Amino acid sequence: MGTEFVALLGLAGLSSAFAFVALVLAAWMAWRIVEKAGLPGWTGLGAVLLTLTAVGTIVPLILLWIFAFMRWPRDAAVATSARAPAAPGPAAGGSGAGGRTAPAASSALPPPPKALADGRGWTLTGKLGDGQAVSLSFDASAAAWMLTGAAAAQPTDLSVPDPSVGQPHARLMVAGARLGLADLGTSGGTFIDGARLLPEHGPRDITAVRTIRLGGVELALSRV
Amino acid sequence: MPDLFYHLLAWVLGFGSFFLLVLLIGHVLVALVVIIPTWRICVRAGFAGAWSLLHLIPVIGSFVVMAILAFGDWPNGEATSD
Repeated sequence: MGTEFVALLGLAGLSSAFAFVALVLAAWMAWRIVEKAGLPGWTGLGAVLLTLTAVGTIVPLILLWIFAFMRWPRDAAVATSARAPAAPGPAAGGSGAGGRTAPAASSALPPPPKALADGRGWTLTGKLGDGQAVSLSFDASAAAWMLTGAAAAQPTDLSVPDPSVGQPHARLMVAGARLGLADLGTSGGTFIDGARLLPEHGPRDITAVRTIRLGGVELALSRV
Repeated sequence: MPDLFYHLLAWVLGFGSFFLLVLLIGHVLVALVVIIPTWRICVRAGFAGAWSLLHLIPVIGSFVVMAILAFGDWPNGEATSD
């Protein structure tokens, strides 16, 4: 038996032996790959073995394209587990001792818990030209706040009573946890960390800014 | 060496080069046909699609990318086995 096998191998040649090993390896890997996608393993094996038939490699190539773009049973299972992330509970406990768990217990991680909204406000503190301290507080209760040198006429007005501050001077925009500042073209000018902000620049994100200057008044920005 | 020898040698080298070029172009074309679906399979499995470029390596490249898909844990999850 052994000698006959060796004779056959000698007849076929060493390259045939390598081809046989490659075929077995390819068939085994194809089986595993389609199983991971949720299809029966024999479909992958069959696709590889089709290369031995008269159809050659054309049909397996077509099957490869179909496999790449078709819907996999694994996708349906992952979608089901994503829609039902809650713990099994008594219903699954009663379905059978040691039986299968939730219908699609894939190895994908559950989605992360949603973060709570940041409810903190902001504070602008500084000193006016005459040495008087100023502290302005605002939060996301209004979408826009007006920085003005006049007294506050609206609930959303933030008064900085200094001659160098325009009336109004700049607009503060609040969007969630982000803060924007737009200059309204006054002569005193608006500065963000020392850089001049012009009206044509439009609103600029100042969420991470340390200081803003309105005219001659420097204000430090901080979260409450 | 007689002129006939160099004449024949030139023909052999020419045909050989042409044959190699045809082989190379054919290999690249087949690889492209295989690379596109393999790229999609790699992405759906959760791997980088560029792994499918291993098909360009003759003989062993395809086996390497198949081994990655067959024996690696799929980041996007695998179907459970009953």
